[in-house]
Amino acid sequence: MAKAIKKPAQRQVLLHLEDVWKVYQMGEVEVAALKGVTVEIQKGDFVAIIGASGSGKSTMMNLIGCLDMPSKGKIFLKSQDISQLTESNLASLRGITIGFIFQQYNLIPTMTAFENVLLPLEFQEMDDKAAHERARYILDLVGLSDKTFHLPSQLSGGQQQRVSIARSLVSDPEIILADEPTGALDSVTGREILETLHRLWKEEGKTIIMVTHDLNLAQYAHTTIELKDGKIINISQRKEK
Amino acid sequence: MKFYKSFKHALNMVLHSKIRSWLTILGIVIGVAAVVAITSLGQSLQQDINSQLGALGGDLVTIRAGASRASGFFGGGGREGQVGGITSSASKEEIVLDKTDVQALRGVEDIKLIETEISGRADVYYVAEKGSTTITGVDQKVWFQITTSKIKDGRMLGPADTNVIVVGGRFASSFFTTQVGINQMVTIGSRLFRIVGILDDESSSIYMPIDSAYETLEDKTKGVYDSIIIKVKNEDELDTAVEHINEKLRISRHVTAAKPDFSLTSNKERQQQREQITSSMTSFLTAIAAVALLVGAVGIANTMFTSVLEKTKEIGIMKAIGARNADILAIFLLNAALIGFIGGVLGIIFGILLSGFLPSLMGGSAGPLSRLSGGVISIQTVFIALFISIMIGVISGVVPAYQASRLRPVDALRFE
Ligand SMILES: Nc1ncnc2c1ncn2[C@@H]1O[C@H](COP(=O)(O)OP(=O)(O)OP(=O)(O)O)[C@@H](O)[C@H]1O
Ligand SMILES: [Mg+2]
Repeated sequence: MAKAIKKPAQRQVLLHLEDVWKVYQMGEVEVAALKGVTVEIQKGDFVAIIGASGSGKSTMMNLIGCLDMPSKGKIFLKSQDISQLTESNLASLRGITIGFIFQQYNLIPTMTAFENVLLPLEFQEMDDKAAHERARYILDLVGLSDKTFHLPSQLSGGQQQRVSIARSLVSDPEIILADEPTGALDSVTGREILETLHRLWKEEGKTIIMVTHDLNLAQYAHTTIELKDGKIINISQRKEK
Repeated sequence: MKFYKSFKHALNMVLHSKIRSWLTILGIVIGVAAVVAITSLGQSLQQDINSQLGALGGDLVTIRAGASRASGFFGGGGREGQVGGITSSASKEEIVLDKTDVQALRGVEDIKLIETEISGRADVYYVAEKGSTTITGVDQKVWFQITTSKIKDGRMLGPADTNVIVVGGRFASSFFTTQVGINQMVTIGSRLFRIVGILDDESSSIYMPIDSAYETLEDKTKGVYDSIIIKVKNEDELDTAVEHINEKLRISRHVTAAKPDFSLTSNKERQQQREQITSSMTSFLTAIAAVALLVGAVGIANTMFTSVLEKTKEIGIMKAIGARNADILAIFLLNAALIGFIGGVLGIIFGILLSGFLPSLMGGSAGPLSRLSGGVISIQTVFIALFISIMIGVISGVVPAYQASRLRPVDALRFE
């Protein structure tokens, strides 16, 4: 177990969590989901967050993705303290810098694959023509150019997840956050999705942070962070191939 | 997000909404329909009053023999029916209007003009066709000064005329299968008449010199009038004039105020009655409209709250992929505005239908409103109605939309 993080080629801290706590108030009771997490994630890393159910993985992802704010401690994204950002700045950050992939795909059911992929660009007020081109290009990239005008309900789980990957990629974010992206898929499809993510990491140089239960899938990652009861108990790095 | 994109998403939301939520716009539809019907009725009423004051003259008083029929305004079939009634009372030979009455009226200072008329139905022949219509014999020396009808074609009856007639606009245009024009001859009873004028109105009546009418109409006694029309000097003092006329006639006819044997009606009086009925109807409809709009607003608010709840997850997704609070607010507000708009459009359609039916519903074919042209909707009314309905949508959507925009992304995403 190598606790020290091996320096990648060009070391640059993209994300820095500093003594992060997340305490949920459940009526009278306080539940601490994260208890003083401190970690640095390098640009271009492929990180897997593993741990038992309830260990705080999703909580950590939500904080990294600026969907939630820590109860205590600081999160720096590209050296910026996210607690200092306005609502609108956080929205831009989520729209431009971060791409989300969810376990349940979370596509908008009334919109076609194309419209779903287009949506993040619409929030960024990208010019229509450029946005359409971009969405089409990305759908092609995930191998769905023939399913452009299908509704989510007309697609298989794996296809829906690929639409969701396309959506997370469309605004060319630096970080892709995936909370159990294969959780709802069979192992073969899950592996395919992981291959896609891995290829993106290799070819596009994205920073990928993924939560998974499946230790086999965690093998794809470069860095593995293990959580237990809201604390990091282990960080390991695979030797470069 | 650009405005038209927000609009597109709002529209998409409306198009995908459940039937249940469509039902809640019913309140708006009813409210707007009532508003439209009221405004439309108000407008056509105003037109009607204007045309009566202008054309029919608020300075005219009509005297008929026989006691006033209290419900004369409501019952009866307008002019023709009343004339029929008078004909029968005249035939009793007791209660009539004649030269004595005209003589008596000459002494009333407030009177400017006195005209005498008789009328009845007669058969009219033209080429090979036959029809029956109302013939009015008028005192042609005064008639052209007192009538509210205007000449569209030709001329009025002149003092020296005999065997000539002036006809109503509809008589000329569509009473017979072919149009009838100036200088054409029609046979009435057994005599031939030449048309010298066509009136600018919608009637099928025929006007001829009263002496010709005595010969043409059956059951008419020379020197007995069906009605005496009076034009007063000052319209503003119509009430005093009416009082003086009443007094004078009572004295000359030896009757008491409690048991008169003649009746006076003024156009003004009719208009006042009509206005009163319309105003009570308008306030009734206004009350319906207000209640319906309120119900509609509550309905939209309810739909919006439900919709925000149902779309919580989608709101979370949108926020996760970069939606600002303002974007969510805009989409939901536009959604509410669209619901209002759709309710408004449907309401306007129903309102137009309603205003077309209402006059006949309220008074029957001869009722006070029967002459109002229903279904007259001005562009202004349409805009006001749309504005009201959109505003109601927006106002009832504000709170739910704000609530939606303030949802925390994590909480919204966790929502199932
Ligand atoms: N909104 C919340 N309110 C209260 N408690 C919460 C909330 N979200 C998470 N928790 C608690 O925080 C702890 C960590 O939850 P979290 O969802 O991060 O676990 P996880 O590692 O993602 O688990 P899983 O593998 O089952 O998804 C759990 O005990 C959970 O009950
Ligand atoms: Mg989880």
